[in-house]
Amino acid sequence: MNAAPLPLTVIGGFLGAGKTSLLNRWLRHAGQQRLAVLVNDFGALDIDAALIESSAAETIALTNGCVCCQIGDDLSMALVRVLESGTSFDAVVIEASGVSDPGRIAQLGHADPGLRLDSVIVLVDASTALAQSQDPLLADTLARPLKAADLVVVNKCDLVDLDTRQAVARWIESVAGPVPRFEAMHAAVPLPLLSARAMPAAHRAGVHGAGCEAHGGMDHGAQFDTWCCRPARVFRPDALRAWLRAAPAGLLRLKGFVRCAAPAGGVEWFEVQLAGRNASLRPLPAGVAPPDDSALVALGLRGLLPTAALEAGLGDPTCPEAR
Amino acid sequence: MKTTVYVARRIITMNPMQPQTTHVAVRDGRILGVGSREGLSAWGPCTLDERFADKVLMPGLVEGHCHLQEGSLWDMPYLGWFDRRDPQGTVWPGLQSMDAVVERLAAVDARMSSQGAAQETPLIAWGFDPIYFGGERMTTDHLDRVSATRPIVVVHANAHLMNVNSPMLRLAGIGRDSEIEGVMRFASGPRSGEPNGELQEPAAMFPVVRRIGAVGPLAPMTEAGVRAFARLACMQGVTTATDLVNKLTEADCAVLEAALADDAVGVRILPAFQAFHGAQGAQQGAEHVQRLLPRNTDRLRYGLVKMMLDGSIQGFSARLRWPGYFNGAPNGIWVTAPAQYEADFEVYHRAGLQIHTHTNGDEASAVALDAVERVLARAPRPDHRHTLQHGQMIDRPLFLRMAALGMCANLFANHLWYWGDQHHDMTMGPDRAHRLDACASALAAGVPLAIHSDAPVTPLGPMFTAWCAVNRVTPKGRVLGEAERIGVPQALHAITLGAAWTLKLDHEIGSIECGKRADFCVLEDDPLAMDPAALKDARIWGTVLSGRVFEAGAPRP
Repeated sequence: MNAAPLPLTVIGGFLGAGKTSLLNRWLRHAGQQRLAVLVNDFGALDIDAALIESSAAETIALTNGCVCCQIGDDLSMALVRVLESGTSFDAVVIEASGVSDPGRIAQLGHADPGLRLDSVIVLVDASTALAQSQDPLLADTLARPLKAADLVVVNKCDLVDLDTRQAVARWIESVAGPVPRFEAMHAAVPLPLLSARAMPAAHRAGVHGAGCEAHGGMDHGAQFDTWCCRPARVFRPDALRAWLRAAPAGLLRLKGFVRCAAPAGGVEWFEVQLAGRNASLRPLPAGVAPPDDSALVALGLRGLLPTAALEAGLGDPTCPEAR
Repeated sequence: MKTTVYVARRIITMNPMQPQTTHVAVRDGRILGVGSREGLSAWGPCTLDERFADKVLMPGLVEGHCHLQEGSLWDMPYLGWFDRRDPQGTVWPGLQSMDAVVERLAAVDARMSSQGAAQETPLIAWGFDPIYFGGERMTTDHLDRVSATRPIVVVHANAHLMNVNSPMLRLAGIGRDSEIEGVMRFASGPRSGEPNGELQEPAAMFPVVRRIGAVGPLAPMTEAGVRAFARLACMQGVTTATDLVNKLTEADCAVLEAALADDAVGVRILPAFQAFHGAQGAQQGAEHVQRLLPRNTDRLRYGLVKMMLDGSIQGFSARLRWPGYFNGAPNGIWVTAPAQYEADFEVYHRAGLQIHTHTNGDEASAVALDAVERVLARAPRPDHRHTLQHGQMIDRPLFLRMAALGMCANLFANHLWYWGDQHHDMTMGPDRAHRLDACASALAAGVPLAIHSDAPVTPLGPMFTAWCAVNRVTPKGRVLGEAERIGVPQALHAITLGAAWTLKLDHEIGSIECGKRADFCVLEDDPLAMDPAALKDARIWGTVLSGRVFEAGAPRP
C-alpha cells in the first residue's frame, strides 16, 4: 500500500465566515474527486437528500463518491476511521471549528505517511470581520486562524463596499503578514484554489510559458492565469526551497516534479507543492512512479500571475522562452 | 412494610429544624422519621439496627462535578505526584521524582512480562503532571530505562501531552525527519534534533493513537468502569455523583443503564449531556435529553446539560480578564464562541433544562453571566438554577450578579491544594491567587454553593474538598486567601444539601429528614468534633443508598 499520500486541506475561519457553504459547494462540484470531508455538525451541512447514498451515525456517503464524517470530540479517531476505511479518496478536508486553531489541525497533515498537508484555507466574513476584530473577547480568536492561513478567502464581499474590502485587506495583512487573498461571494471558491488536484495536470502540460492547456477540470479559466514549464535543469534542493519560501506575490499555487541533486550524489525526482504560504519540496514518496519528464504548473489570478519571476526562478536559464 | 431504625453516635442531619439526633427510621428506602428512639416508636413495629451505634451519620455526600473516568482510568497504572486510592482501596503513593516514576513503570513492565504479555503489548500509564517537577522534563532516557522493547506511553494529567519511549517512537514512525511541530526534540548533545519522546497536542500524538487506539481519558466508558467508580464513591461516602460530560449516545446510555440497574452498584449517577463540540444542533440536543428523561431510575438521572466556554488556568487556556496571566502567557481560548454559547444556551434553557457551564477564567465567567442575563430577559424562567462550574476566579461583583440572576456556583476547591502554589507563583500571582475559588464571597453574596473535585482531574473525595475550602492551604504551606475560608458546617453543607440544590435534587437528597431518600455517609469520626485542619482525615466506613448498606471495606463483585 504505497499509494501517493492523500492531500489534507483544513478549512478555518470564525463562526459565520462561510465554512459550511464552502464545503457544501465543494461536495456538490467535486467532479471526479472523491473527498472525505470531516465536519463538526452534519445537520449544518444540509446536504440534498438526492445526493445522499447512505447515512449512518458517523458518516454520510454521497452518490458522487464523497463521504462526510462527523468529528465529534476526537478528530484523531475520526481521521483514523477515514484512513482505515479501505476507500481510496483523492483528498481529505477537515472543517476546523470556529474557535479552533487550524494551524494545529494542519499538523495532522505531517502526522501520517498516508497524508500530506495541502493547505490551510481560512475564510473571513468581510461584513463582520472589522467589528469582530475590535471586540476584545474575539480579537485573538479571529487572528489565530489568519496567522496559520496559507490562503485567505475574503467572503461575503457582496455585502460591503470597496473601502471596507480594502480595510479588511489591511487588517488581514496586519495580523497575518503577506498572505494570498481571494475575494468571494457566497463562499464560491474555484476548485483549483482549494486543491492541487484540481489544477491542470502538470505532466500533461505541453506548452512552456503562460496560458498552458487546461486539463483536469479547470472550469474557471476566466478567473485565472496559468504558467507551465518543463525545466531541464537539475535544482539544488536548498536553493529551490529558499525560492519557494519567498515565492513571488501573485502566485497562488504551484505543483509539479523537478530533478534535484540528491545529497548522496546523482539526480532524484522531487515533488514541488505550493499553496499560498505552504510550500514543500520532497523526494517522491516510495512507490510513486517517477514522471516521464519534469513539469511545473503555476496558478494565479488573471493578470496577477508573476510569470517573469516564475521564468527567472524556475525556468531554464538557457531556454529561449525563459527570457 | 418493614421499618428499620438505625441508631448512631451522632446523626448530622443538615436540617436546621433538627441539626443533630441519634436515631433515623427507614422504610422503603426512604427516611420515615428522625429523632429519639421513643419518638420514632410511634410509627409502629420496627427493627432496631445497631451496626452504626458507634458511628456518625451524615447525609450521603453529593459530588456535583466529577466524571466516571475516575473509575475506569485504574485499568492503567497511576503516575501522579500525589497519593491516590484505587477502586480496590489500595493507595498508590505519589511519585515525586523521575526515578520513582521509572521504578513504578519497571515494576508494571515486569508484572506484564511475568503474566505472559507479549513484548509488543504497550504499557500505558496516566496521571503524570510535569508542572510539579520544577522544569525537569521526562524523555526517552527515562522511559527507555523501563524497557528497550515494550512500547510505553505516559499520558499526562491534562491529556494534551504524552511521553513515549524509543520503541513506541519507532512503532509510530516518528524520527528525526518528522515534520510535526509538536514532536519535542533533544536540544543539544550528540542526539540534538532527535525526538526526545515528548509529544504535544493531537497531531504529534496521532501516530501513537493510530497504533494503539484512543488512550487515557478519551477511551470509551465501560460497565466495569462504572462499577469501579461506585466502589470509589462508597469509600468516600458519596451516594450521588455527576458524570459531567457524556455524549449520551445509545452505547453510552446502554453502559450506564446496565451498570446502574444492578442493586450491587451503590451510587446514583447524573450524566450531563455534552452540549458543546456539537455532533448535533442545540435543538436536537435538547430533544435528545428530553427523550431520555422517561428512562430515569433512582440510580440514573438524565436531564443535566453541560456547556463549556474556556480551558484551564494551569494549562493557560482559561480566558482571563485584565491583567491576564501572571507569567505573561497570552490569554486562553474559547472552547465555545461567546455568541454560539448564548444561542445554544437559550435553546436548552427554553427547553426547560438545567445548564452547567464550565468557566475557569473570570472573563469566561463574565461572558457566561452576560449571556444568561440576556437570555433570561428574553425568556424568564423561575428557579432555573443554571450553574457555573469551576468558576475559579469569580470575584465579589460577579457573585452578586450571579445571585441576582438566580445562578449557582460549584467551585473547584481542590485546586487550592493541588495547584495552589502554581497559581500563586505562575498563573495568577500573589494577590489574585487569594481569591481562587472564593467560597466565602459566594456565600456572602447569597449564591448557592457546591464544591467539587472534577475527578479524575483530582481524586474523588468531598470530605477532602471540604477540607480545602475550610483551610485553603497549599503543599508549600501557604494559606491562599484566609478571608475566603468557610467554616466546617458551611463546607459540609456545600458537599451535601448545597450540591443537591445545584442538581435540583434538594427535595430528595442532601439532608436527613422525613421523606427524603435514605442516603447516608457513614463515618468513624465526627467531622463537627474534629480539628478542622484534620477534616480530610475523617475516616469513612461506607454508605447507605436508598436504604441499602454498602461497606467500603467489604469485598465486592
